[in-house]
Amino acid sequence: MFEGCIIKYKKSPDTGKVNQISVMYPEDENGGKLHLSVPLDENNRHYQDIQKWVADGNTIQEAD
Amino acid sequence: MPYIGNSPAEKYASFAVQHFTTSATTGYTLDHAVANENDIRLVINNVIQQPGSGKAYVASGTTLTLSAATSGTDTMYCVFLGKAVQTVVPPESSITGAMLSDTVISGQSALGAEPADTDEFLVSDAGVLKRVDYSYIKSSVVNRPNAQPIFINGDMAVAQRGTSATGKTTSDIYTCDRMGLVTDSIGTYTVAQEAQTSGNAFANGFANAWRLDCTTADASPGASDQLEMQYTFEGQDLQVFKKGTANAEKYTLAFWVKSNKTGTGNIQLKDKDNSNRQCTQSYTISVANTWEHKVCVFGADTTGAMDDDNAKSLIINWWLGSGTDYSSGTANHGVWEAQDNTKVNAGGTLNINDNTANDWSITGIQLEVGEYTSSTLPPFQHESYGDNLQRCRRYCNLHMNTDQNGGPFLNQCFAYTSSNWNSSVNLTPPMRAVPTVTSVSGTNYYVIFSNGGTINYNQIDFNDATLSGGVCNVVDLHLDGASGGTAGHAGKTRGNSTGAGTMLLMDAEL
Repeated sequence: MFEGCIIKYKKSPDTGKVNQISVMYPEDENGGKLHLSVPLDENNRHYQDIQKWVADGNTIQEAD
Repeated sequence: MPYIGNSPAEKYASFAVQHFTTSATTGYTLDHAVANENDIRLVINNVIQQPGSGKAYVASGTTLTLSAATSGTDTMYCVFLGKAVQTVVPPESSITGAMLSDTVISGQSALGAEPADTDEFLVSDAGVLKRVDYSYIKSSVVNRPNAQPIFINGDMAVAQRGTSATGKTTSDIYTCDRMGLVTDSIGTYTVAQEAQTSGNAFANGFANAWRLDCTTADASPGASDQLEMQYTFEGQDLQVFKKGTANAEKYTLAFWVKSNKTGTGNIQLKDKDNSNRQCTQSYTISVANTWEHKVCVFGADTTGAMDDDNAKSLIINWWLGSGTDYSSGTANHGVWEAQDNTKVNAGGTLNINDNTANDWSITGIQLEVGEYTSSTLPPFQHESYGDNLQRCRRYCNLHMNTDQNGGPFLNQCFAYTSSNWNSSVNLTPPMRAVPTVTSVSGTNYYVIFSNGGTINYNQIDFNDATLSGGVCNVVDLHLDGASGGTAGHAGKTRGNSTGAGTMLLMDAEL
């Protein structure tokens, strides 16, 4: 799960507060990177997956 | 002597006599039914008795009642004066409707259950009386308690994410909407929406299938490795099964399946709301590379109601391979029980993971309330593509998907500040939950047209969204990397010619 991904909190440019988790996948064959912008919502499956990933001992990077 | 009509069956008849074995009782049973006591002449100890109420005896039907009890030493006999002594067989075709009593049907014993298929009814076939088996006249219309298919996209027609995904080693939903691949350290796969042009599934109305091809095999999976196709339900969509009540319904899961391998496949129902209670069932692929229709029945569960909400309540797993953590137990098919991972793939022999020649395809999936067999299963509820797509978009909304040379415009946008461009997407239909915003990120992959010029940017981010009325109606987006322009200016945005595979997809899957 999330192998090779960069996972970090991200702030809203409107409020300056953290409002999502950014999951950036490794570069694909076209040079693009799949990016998930995950809301902080417990009913969101990606948010749930990230919580499991954290429970496995991983850490979400702080927001810039 | 000539007769008009039917000749009497008996041309001579004598009166019938019944001798009784007496005892100290007033009640006796006659050999023949009578209208009343005047139809018999009763003699006790050679003395004729007077018939009538308040007299020596009364009689009705086959019941003879004396006014005083006899003794065992008495002699008693009766002569049937009014007994019918002949039997007449009506001639053929002589019984007319007027001869039938109005109670000819209502006077019979009622059948307390649905007739057997071979039970017979009388019908007028163009004026000719004939018998017909119940199987020919019983209703073939099934009154489902659900208006639409419970299982969404069971015909695999909708594939918003694309028709092929290669090199997959991780779990996700690829190609066909709502169909998840669960894979954990057990090989590499291509997932495809496979177009059908022949075969039994195609001949039954299914033009697409979900197909899994093993491209890197793992013939010796670790104990905890697993491979499944998975479908998930919201609890609020399954209340019709009345799980956790005394009226709980069975589940019938039917589908078309094909594989290069023959053998036994396992299916698991998993109740996420009740400590992962489970019920398993198996099916057999008998002929390789041939579409076969399977009907699997799962028991009713009177334990553990499913939550009436938009969260994940029930999972269906089609097991395609696993390590021993999921197969070392003894299967208990069709029965709900507490979670026991060792049983969920017990006896499973498909093991699609064990050779790169392996493939497994499925389509025509339907989940029905109650128990059905292959002969009683109601027909698959085909939906229009548009209706199907709308139901899929509650979970996945592909808003933009294009290649390098730009594509459909994403939306209008505006500059909140000179370096903060926003847009929003009205979600049609509203989505199940606040979605993940998925885009492909790359330098200048997206472009804004504003004020006579262009502004490039790199990716599209979630900015804000909340649920209203239990659903997400709109999601606010931040166009990440867009800098320039003038605060307050409007624009329109789309994928840029420099971006390969740009897209915007909202994901609210379970």
